[in-house]
Amino acid sequence: MAAYVLRRVLWGLVLLVLVSLLTFVVFYVLPSADPAQLRAGRDASPATLAQIRASLGLDRSLPAQYWTFLTHLVLHADLGYSYYSGASVGSLLIDRLPATISLTLGAIVVWVLVAVPIGVVSAVRRGTWVDKLTTGGALLGISAPVYWLGLVALYLFADDIGKLPLLPGAGSYVPLTTDPWKWFTALILPWLVLASTFTAVYARLLRANMIEVLSEDYVRTARAKGLSERRVVWRHGLRAAVTPLVTLAGLDVGLLLGGAVLTETVFGIPGIGRLNYDAILHADYPLIQGTVLLAACFVIVANIVVDIAYAYLDPRVRTA
Amino acid sequence: MPRPVIRALLLALSATAALVLAACGSSTSGHAGAATVDNGKGGHRGGSLTLLTSQDVASLDPGITYASLDLNLLAATERALYAYAPEDPTNLVPDLAAGPPQISADGKTLTVRIRSGVHFGPPVNREVTSRDVKYAIERGFNPHVANPYASTYYGDLVGAARASGGPIAGLQTPDDHTLVFKLVRPTASLVAQATVLPLSAPVPPEYAKPFDARAPSDYGNHVVATGPYMLAADSKGKVLGTGYVPGRSIRLVRNPKWSAATDARPAYLDAIEWRIGESPNVAGRQVLAGKGLALSDPPTPALVKRAYQQSRDQIFFSPGAGSRYAALNTAIPPFNDANLRKAVAAALDREQMRRVRGGEVIGDVASHFLYPGVLGFEQAGGSKGTGVDFLANPTGDRAVALKYMKAAGYPSGKYTGGAKLQVVGLAGAPDSNDAEIVNQTLQDLGFKTNLKLVESSVMYARFCALPRARVNVCPNVGWVRDFADPQTVLDLAFNGKYILPENNPNWPQLNDPTVNAAIGRAELAVGNDARASAWADVDRKVTATGAAIPWLWDRQPNIWSADVRCVPQLWNLGHCDLVYSSLK
Amino acid sequence: MSAADAAGAVLRVEDLQVAFDTRDGLVQAVDGISFAVAPGRTLGIVGESGSGKTVAAMTVMGLTRSPRTRVAGRVLLDGEDLLAASAERLRALRGAAAAMVFQDSLSALHPLLRVGAQIEEAMRAHRDVGRTAARARALELLELVAIPDAARRIDAYPHELSGGMRQRVMIAMALANEPRVLIADEPTTALDATVQAQILALLRRLRDELGMAMVLITHDLGVVAETADDVVVMYAGRIVEQAPVGELFAAPRHPYTWGLLRSMPRLDAPAGADLVPIPGRPPSLVHPPSGCRFHPRCPYVRERHRHVEPVLEPLADGPAHRVACLLSEAERRTAWALLAEGATPEQARAAIEPAGGPAPTAAGSTEPAAGDGAAEEAPA
Repeated sequence: MAAYVLRRVLWGLVLLVLVSLLTFVVFYVLPSADPAQLRAGRDASPATLAQIRASLGLDRSLPAQYWTFLTHLVLHADLGYSYYSGASVGSLLIDRLPATISLTLGAIVVWVLVAVPIGVVSAVRRGTWVDKLTTGGALLGISAPVYWLGLVALYLFADDIGKLPLLPGAGSYVPLTTDPWKWFTALILPWLVLASTFTAVYARLLRANMIEVLSEDYVRTARAKGLSERRVVWRHGLRAAVTPLVTLAGLDVGLLLGGAVLTETVFGIPGIGRLNYDAILHADYPLIQGTVLLAACFVIVANIVVDIAYAYLDPRVRTA
Repeated sequence: MPRPVIRALLLALSATAALVLAACGSSTSGHAGAATVDNGKGGHRGGSLTLLTSQDVASLDPGITYASLDLNLLAATERALYAYAPEDPTNLVPDLAAGPPQISADGKTLTVRIRSGVHFGPPVNREVTSRDVKYAIERGFNPHVANPYASTYYGDLVGAARASGGPIAGLQTPDDHTLVFKLVRPTASLVAQATVLPLSAPVPPEYAKPFDARAPSDYGNHVVATGPYMLAADSKGKVLGTGYVPGRSIRLVRNPKWSAATDARPAYLDAIEWRIGESPNVAGRQVLAGKGLALSDPPTPALVKRAYQQSRDQIFFSPGAGSRYAALNTAIPPFNDANLRKAVAAALDREQMRRVRGGEVIGDVASHFLYPGVLGFEQAGGSKGTGVDFLANPTGDRAVALKYMKAAGYPSGKYTGGAKLQVVGLAGAPDSNDAEIVNQTLQDLGFKTNLKLVESSVMYARFCALPRARVNVCPNVGWVRDFADPQTVLDLAFNGKYILPENNPNWPQLNDPTVNAAIGRAELAVGNDARASAWADVDRKVTATGAAIPWLWDRQPNIWSADVRCVPQLWNLGHCDLVYSSLK
Repeated sequence: MSAADAAGAVLRVEDLQVAFDTRDGLVQAVDGISFAVAPGRTLGIVGESGSGKTVAAMTVMGLTRSPRTRVAGRVLLDGEDLLAASAERLRALRGAAAAMVFQDSLSALHPLLRVGAQIEEAMRAHRDVGRTAARARALELLELVAIPDAARRIDAYPHELSGGMRQRVMIAMALANEPRVLIADEPTTALDATVQAQILALLRRLRDELGMAMVLITHDLGVVAETADDVVVMYAGRIVEQAPVGELFAAPRHPYTWGLLRSMPRLDAPAGADLVPIPGRPPSLVHPPSGCRFHPRCPYVRERHRHVEPVLEPLADGPAHRVACLLSEAERRTAWALLAEGATPEQARAAIEPAGGPAPTAAGSTEPAAGDGAAEEAPA
């Protein structure tokens, strides 16, 4: 097991280098703004433009720029400085990470707590009104665009602009250490909104898996043993049906930790997603590179964790 | 999409937008919207104003900053030599200067006296001298600072051509409170006007030089204030992390070293804060419904409508916010033919272009390139226009269009040549709607077109400002002045010598000898009156070439909360002037 | 089954009928079967797939209850009617008084739970035992079913065991609560021959040691010969023949049984005799054939058989032996005598044809009119 993990980690590092190279290439090849030009404004003379380019280090050859970036990263753990704000990329990422983690972890809790019972119940009571209700709700959750859902949530429940002022509105995020209660209430709506699509998808997935599992032979055996229906459904059925969902959830968590842009934007949460988006708008290459690498890191780690978890959850995989 | 469908869609859109102006009066001079111009007198002291913005500031360094949000902030923390009063965007008012600018008769020398008793805020704390202004301008030429307009406006200083951050001979400080600009050409009037930009705000050399030695300069994260407010900072003067958290917030507090005796401005508010990163839809609603808030972004059309209908005293349409025009590429066929250009101009319904953006309240239909608030606007014809027939009718004139098509060699009135036009506009409503209208007009004249809608910085960097991209029509370009002098609107935009292979500001690539000569004369005019008439002449000539079709003089809407008395800066897109605004 | 045996039966099924309401119509899977099993005896139920044997077993265990199932008749376990029992009562009996072993042990055991845990939970569902006690008992059971190195294997996952060991685990699981009756549905079908023999031996031993009643469902007559005491042959949801095992093999009396016997290799068949498979396919249970259900495939079919349903009746000389066939006893005896010597079904049929040729066509026949004797073959 240890050798396996080590191999995966090393391969992950290789992937990160590839990702950074790809980001570099994409940024310079595809049509986007020129950071020097953005800085300079439209009526800057070519001389000024050249000066700005030089001061940002953009006048060197592309391979040279990339090499500098790579060596700084590997040798000094230095991700460079943001063109736009002059702050170090590392400090910006660290500043924004807690908000994204808060948002992601809370959303996961919500979606697991809601999706699992719904999935199981709608599978067990397939065809009844409960099932139809949850199917309809799931359809809504999957189709509703997150941004729109967020706006609707705010227009309904925000205490500053909502019809039923219940919860803090956009922009009221505070770190956990500053004011735990405010942190919690300000994140309720974002959690619900972010979790909605996932809940719907996972509930449907679980329902489909459960229906399949409940018709398997070992469920018949469990019933033949005289186990209570509850035990059959939850310990035998759910246990088998949930394994693919765990792996999927792990990947989704990895992705979300890279930043949920739309939710962060509509609720004004200062997370990695919005940082990435702003960086792209400003053609702030070092920051783009930093956020992309961070997101890639999370996805790679999530992949490794998920593979290990899968081996733990399904013993048949271990011998392979 | 077939033509009739586009028409129907556009009509539907303009119908909804037209609801906004239903109750507006029909005064031809246009009105400033519901809230009126304010000079800020008689406000209440105290309180805190919070501004919501989706975009961060580009820089806090007065030697770099250039965007309107940044200018709004710096007007509260930095004192340039001259400034504009919020309600008068045309005439200079002394700020750090003690009196009006002294221009020599030959226009090559500008003398400015500096007030005494103005101090830097913490951690520098000492009195400001003329040497601080000298250093501020010199550092603009430092590649680590790379001020975007230093060489444009201060390039005529003696010694500026070779300047790279070191002393410039043309900037002289005979004593602590006098600054003399020596120029190689008679452009002192222009330089005097240019001092409203923050480059002339004093920077203490002994404090800033270590930061300027880094590439790029780090002074912006440690900036020192001279105005009534300062960025909250730690004891060493570092604002990054306290007064400025990138992408999240900016905090201004009162500058303890500011003395009201040296400043005519009231400075009512105790604290000012920006919350960065709010989504514009939500932020707008929060502002309208909340307390002590103002919106720093342009509000969405839906918000404008809502504010206009429900909270009319919370919205202001700031006139003279800039001009919008459609640039036609005069360097390549078919628009190297002036008659074709004029035909397109005559065929374009500029009223409709305005309607899809919100109608009368949102601006005035443009007929030339100088706009209200800029010197020379009235001399060029004012709102009546310069008199050319192809722009005489704001809704377009088919007969005139036909006349020019015939003159171009198309007797049927429709283009029959083979060229396919590349049209590049902005994505997102309402700009995309305007691009569609222009596109439709071209097609109605028989042109085949290929319309591409992209994001703003891409539109300029990869298409409209890049001659080798060979774009024929750019319907969504426009210009915002740097200050009241008309040179800032016309020179770079239409002067043949500024056609560049990339980052080209002369989008129509106009290289007309008559225009170039007129510009050359106007550049060197001395005194506001002379400059106004000289540049008005340029404006008329440029308009007559048809190289670009002016279609709107913007009125920028701004919204704020019910308890805020916002004093709009007419010179800066109507942002609330932080030193004059107050809470009710 | 003699009356004396029936009286001591642990499990008695009386006229069981099970039908499923499907989109294609009502599927009558089991159409009136009755049997009984006494403690210490094994009943073998034989038939092709689709004969209804598995459905019958599952219904006995109460595993077919659903809104779409129609069940009639009685299933008495120690005198208690399971069909009338509540779901909760059934659950209490399942796995305790009545236990079932399934065919494919790899899919019948939960892949993600250890085998020991699966046995323990079978116990703890019905009895209040602590975890250590349950584990100890599970170990005992594994040793009882002769799993080598049981102490290590108890924590194995099903996929880590061989097919034979898995089947033993299934049996151990079924025995956890000392059931009165054990139903084994094709317990050896998925196993190879040597393992099959071992499992059957195990089942016999357990039956003897524990005094359980056992029902062994299979399509393989060889298994029945080895292990069963009494046999029931099912076809299209009905019992066509029922006899003690020795008699069934020595003197079978139903054409279907003959077909089954002649289609499997036998050491006591004459050398050179061909295997004769039964032609045709099992009938539709939605629209079963009229008259005798076997008639479309029966080599000895006559016109009358197409309209009259045979009744399961005891033989005159052995009331424990019952047959549902419209041929006369003499005809059956003759036919079997020929078949046992290696004759083909055609030859046997010819021998028992009534004089004067085939029976005249009756009005309203559902089959084509009979031609001469040669043409009267069972349609495929």
